[in-house]
Amino acid sequence: MTDAPVGATPDRVPVPQWLLQQDMAMCPCGCIGKRKKGSYLTKTIQGGSKLLQQVMFGEDVAAAGGLLQRIDPRVKLLSLLGLLVVAGLAHSMITLAVMYAATLVLASLSALPVSFFIKRVWLFVPIFTGIVVLPATLSVVTHGDIVLTLWHWNGHPQGFTAQGLTAAARVVARVAVSISLVVLLTLTTPWIRLLAALRSLAVPRIFILIIGMAYRYIFLLLTSVTDMYQARQARTPGTPKHDRTARAFLGASVGALLGKASHLSEEVYQAMTARGYRGDAMTLDRQRLRSIDASYIIVVVAFAAIMLIGDVLLVPR
Amino acid sequence: MCFLSPADPRSEDAASCHVGMPAAIGAEGEPILVATGLSYSYLDRYPALDDVSITIRRGERVALLGANGCGKSTLLKVLDGLIFPTSGAYTAFGEAVTEDTLEDEQMSEGFRSRVGFVFQNSDAQVFSPTVREEIAFGPLQLGLSRDDAAGRLEDVAGMLGITDLLDRAPFQLSGGQKKKVAIATVLVMGPDVLLFDEPTAALDPRTQYWLMDLIEQLGTAGKTIVHATHDLDVLHRLADRCAVFGEDHRIVAEGSPQQVLADRDLLLAVNLIHERTVLPAATG
Amino acid sequence: MHIPDGYLSPQTCAAGLLVAVPMLGVAATKVHDRVKTRNVPTLAVLAAVCFLIMMFNVPIPDGTTAHAVGGALVAILLGPWAAVIAVSVALAFQALLFGDGGVLAFGVNVVNMAIVLPFVAYGVYRLIAGRAALTSGRRVVAAFIGGYVGLNTAALCCGIELGIQPDLFQDAHGAPLYSPYHLSQAVPAMLLAHLVVAGVAEGIITGAVVAYLQRANLPLLRVNHPDVPVTTEEAAQDAARRQWLRPTVVAGAVMALLVVLTPLGLLAPGGAFGENPPEDLDLHKLGLSTIPEGLNKYNGFWHDAIFSGYDFTGDSHPTLGYLVSAVTGILVVGLVVLLIGKLVARLATPDDPTTDGPTTDDPGEPTPGEGATTPETTKKIRS
Repeated sequence: MTDAPVGATPDRVPVPQWLLQQDMAMCPCGCIGKRKKGSYLTKTIQGGSKLLQQVMFGEDVAAAGGLLQRIDPRVKLLSLLGLLVVAGLAHSMITLAVMYAATLVLASLSALPVSFFIKRVWLFVPIFTGIVVLPATLSVVTHGDIVLTLWHWNGHPQGFTAQGLTAAARVVARVAVSISLVVLLTLTTPWIRLLAALRSLAVPRIFILIIGMAYRYIFLLLTSVTDMYQARQARTPGTPKHDRTARAFLGASVGALLGKASHLSEEVYQAMTARGYRGDAMTLDRQRLRSIDASYIIVVVAFAAIMLIGDVLLVPR
Repeated sequence: MCFLSPADPRSEDAASCHVGMPAAIGAEGEPILVATGLSYSYLDRYPALDDVSITIRRGERVALLGANGCGKSTLLKVLDGLIFPTSGAYTAFGEAVTEDTLEDEQMSEGFRSRVGFVFQNSDAQVFSPTVREEIAFGPLQLGLSRDDAAGRLEDVAGMLGITDLLDRAPFQLSGGQKKKVAIATVLVMGPDVLLFDEPTAALDPRTQYWLMDLIEQLGTAGKTIVHATHDLDVLHRLADRCAVFGEDHRIVAEGSPQQVLADRDLLLAVNLIHERTVLPAATG
Repeated sequence: MHIPDGYLSPQTCAAGLLVAVPMLGVAATKVHDRVKTRNVPTLAVLAAVCFLIMMFNVPIPDGTTAHAVGGALVAILLGPWAAVIAVSVALAFQALLFGDGGVLAFGVNVVNMAIVLPFVAYGVYRLIAGRAALTSGRRVVAAFIGGYVGLNTAALCCGIELGIQPDLFQDAHGAPLYSPYHLSQAVPAMLLAHLVVAGVAEGIITGAVVAYLQRANLPLLRVNHPDVPVTTEEAAQDAARRQWLRPTVVAGAVMALLVVLTPLGLLAPGGAFGENPPEDLDLHKLGLSTIPEGLNKYNGFWHDAIFSGYDFTGDSHPTLGYLVSAVTGILVVGLVVLLIGKLVARLATPDDPTTDGPTTDDPGEPTPGEGATTPETTKKIRS
């Protein structure tokens, strides 16, 4: 999530400086993003409200009455996994292009604003992926037949290789398809139904319970984090300094968060016990597969089979 | 086990019911929660209860009074079988309540379905991803079928006016709504005894009044109610009897709301009121 | 370090799941056994904390910010198995709810961030902290280094997983199918960024929180350190009863050092100095026409090496071969050091059985350190 290179490159390895950016884009979460001094406070608060907005928006779209919204979440989850594997196995750009087109069709059938859907997928990760794989098109990374010579090194021509270009295009396309598939699922499925789907797909109940409760407490703890930041900001005239005290404050706020969290978890445990929890929680969910689900499964399986067979025909192994 | 539903005629006209009546019932009911000589300390170091004895009779409404940190919440947690006293004995409905006896499935089910606890912190009590799941949690743990649980859920939600909140996530609720949900999670199990820990704390005046009316109705409907409170103004409406905690974690006085409120020196001595606090008319 | 879908072959993802799923199962049982039914809310809240820690932007010395994972912190507070579950759940949120990190690649991400990170971090922390007092500065340093090393080890694993893709999966024309960077490119790129930035973030957050808890919430810190002395004086008494250089510690330290140094062999160009005869060495030119018969007899008398030339794959996957050789070698060296250490310890103190045993604490140990607990902390529980 950054445009600044980090650190220096060792001289002897022919790794160009920009290759180091791979990592940053690899991590859409912004692990190592470089930012202006002192902005970490606001950044974190913004992150919090963005998170809430995203969840609210997701719930709105999930409540709309499109095609995918009507499909059983279990069916959607399984078909997502299947299609992700197909996208992973595909060798041909044509296969990936067809799959991407299919996600667009699904999005428009599911009351998703298509321009939003495209933006969400293409602005979020694959642009970074594109930058990341750019160096891979060069002969220094991917050896092969040079299609465009850029410079000579020790008498050997260096430049874009056919293999490099193919590889880069393929990775970008594959990432785009994969992310589109995941976004389709998350935007058309209310979180609680997704959880229920996981539960009925052999994920142990204890994990589901933990996930469900963790989801609920993210927002509670988020509020107290925001409060802590705002309380500090209110007491800090000018721009907060980016220094030792900032880090000490960070430690203190995460520490306080943990203290609050452990106290809270103790009480939650008591509240659960008070209502009869004895280590194995029962839940209220009933889902029946309908005919629309069956037709969806058939269509997805047929589509996956065509993609796989077509891919083998296009690019013989 | 009496389950309170909107169809229950007793709750319909409860608001207009005369205050004195349930007190008469309370005085005659058989003892159901009996605690003798309870002591408890946190981390084996910080005492919270010191030789506390209290008896709760069926249909009675008992208020626990005392300054912050005097042990009211701890006593409620002991009464709900959530923490266990370091010394002393506690029996509910004639059965000893210990960590060991609650391991027994039948005992645990019987006790948990009869005694409900509304926590002070609704956030701790509302832990499920949606309100619907939250309210269904208790009945399902107690072995009700999904259909029965769903039916009860609808009844309680209708009664408390939170039907439109059922599919919301807890983080989308206001403090007052969360409290209503927390109460619904307890009522849905149809308990005989209701324990409230500072129920009206941090609520707006309108919700406070709603809640006090509800507690009054529940009392009229025959529920046994124990609540920790700082709200002296409405004590006469919500309690037949008060137990006053001293800061030494002991119960220093017991009596009717009128008796307790008349004893200004006592309330000053336990640091519950300030010298300038104006007490409600002791005549009730 | 979150690997999205599309960078790894489905085969690699399957391998990741094959490791991650049983580990999660073990973690669930372990945590369940230790704290009974109480674990569910604790783990849920911790997972939420991990998720939030990933949102915390940590200011680091060169003016940049980064975020940590929180795995090292949870490992220190509640043990590495709790960290496995907490971080996995946080990762599941990111993958399913926010499209951050892959769904197919979930297993691999769990291996890196929820398994490797907490265990390495916890091991390093225990190693450095030793029997130091719970309130000592050494524990803060240990927590920092634990977080730092843990995150970098995770990054190394991530680099290796990405780096083996082009060698293992290519199409008919030799173009890589997935992540196109070779080990020699992916590993340094990953490591450099994490050594300089993200590792520092994890270290800072781990160290700073431990430092805060030492001051403000000692009971929370004590949960996972039940038999550790609390104050420096107690630690001194305690140390008098123990021999610091226990064989397990020494062997562990040697192994950790070797693990940290392992990637050097992959990164360094050329062969090891003095190991093999240089290709241009011509003994005849130097007037040495022959190796003395006596020496030549011993040259290569051992033909049964398992990993001849640090490889067992017949050079088809040189890096893989090197890594497997490295792991085996490290384990063997560690075992040998451990055995020698045990022997030395036994010879040195023939009549003190407690010296090399694990933590055999007498239950009646006085705990005046509890006085350090602030009354406010405890009051909170009550109100």
